[in-house]
Amino acid sequence: MTEHSLWRFSRALHRAINERQLADIEPLLDDEVEWAIYGPIDLFSFFGARRGKAAVLEVIRQIGENLRVHRFDRESIMLGADSAASMLRYSLTALDSNKPISLRVAHFTQFKAGKLTSFRMMVDSFDLVEQTVGYPIHLPRIAV
Amino acid sequence: MWAKQIKASRMEPAESIMGEELNRQRVLNFLDVYYAGGIEGALERCSDDVAFLANAPIDILPHMGQHRGKPALRQMWTTIHERYSEMRYEAPVVVAQGDKVAAQLRVFLRKRGNRRVVQFDVAVFYTLRDGKITEIREIIDTYDLVQQVLERDIAAALIGQTAE
Repeated sequence: MTEHSLWRFSRALHRAINERQLADIEPLLDDEVEWAIYGPIDLFSFFGARRGKAAVLEVIRQIGENLRVHRFDRESIMLGADSAASMLRYSLTALDSNKPISLRVAHFTQFKAGKLTSFRMMVDSFDLVEQTVGYPIHLPRIAV
Repeated sequence: MWAKQIKASRMEPAESIMGEELNRQRVLNFLDVYYAGGIEGALERCSDDVAFLANAPIDILPHMGQHRGKPALRQMWTTIHERYSEMRYEAPVVVAQGDKVAAQLRVFLRKRGNRRVVQFDVAVFYTLRDGKITEIREIIDTYDLVQQVLERDIAAALIGQTAE
């Protein structure tokens, strides 16, 4: 039984982020890969959409320069034939401030011939911003 | 519990794929009914003990957060439907495995107050049992959602705020 493409991609991604080694992940990316992390791109330059292998390798490099992954737990996972969806809890450190960040994320991946063709990641981005700035954001409560 | 696990482990691949396709369709049917305004129809597709959890700033969006049971979900969904009209969704990605279905949704809601459209992306993870949805977990780009709901630039609000 062959290993699902998600597992190879996941190992290579975490190695790329923590060890800044892009050699493992480069061959796993389709030339026309589509990549999106949904969140405030004005606050986190590595959020937003990218297209193509070079742009995705660059954004992974940027993530590695800003964050270190300490731990992640998959809370839910679904594997399709060439797709996967995961909900994960990450423990990270923001490298510029050395602040710990605890974050729940969801990602959807699609593969073709073992290569990543689409990656979409959703984050509780308001919580992420509050943890990054280090204090709660005071905004008006909307009516119930 | 054990009987269910044994039954699942004995499931043939074709049967499993059919079950997954059925669950995928159940979730899409649920979404069609919900976004058409059918709160009771959506609740009929949920178990009595359905659990809902959306990671969101509940001090700003108090109707979100954690809810359990049909009455709690009815109240939450009624609040949302009272506040928004012309609700629709797109589901560019749906993945199903076993009794779980995950969907990436793009949601469009029109505010009843000023007719402005709120558009946001959400990842939703459903768990089903006996054909009913028993758990709904949402992960939302909450920064974007809060900005659109409040019609405020949060980055501007951050300026001047300091740590407490």
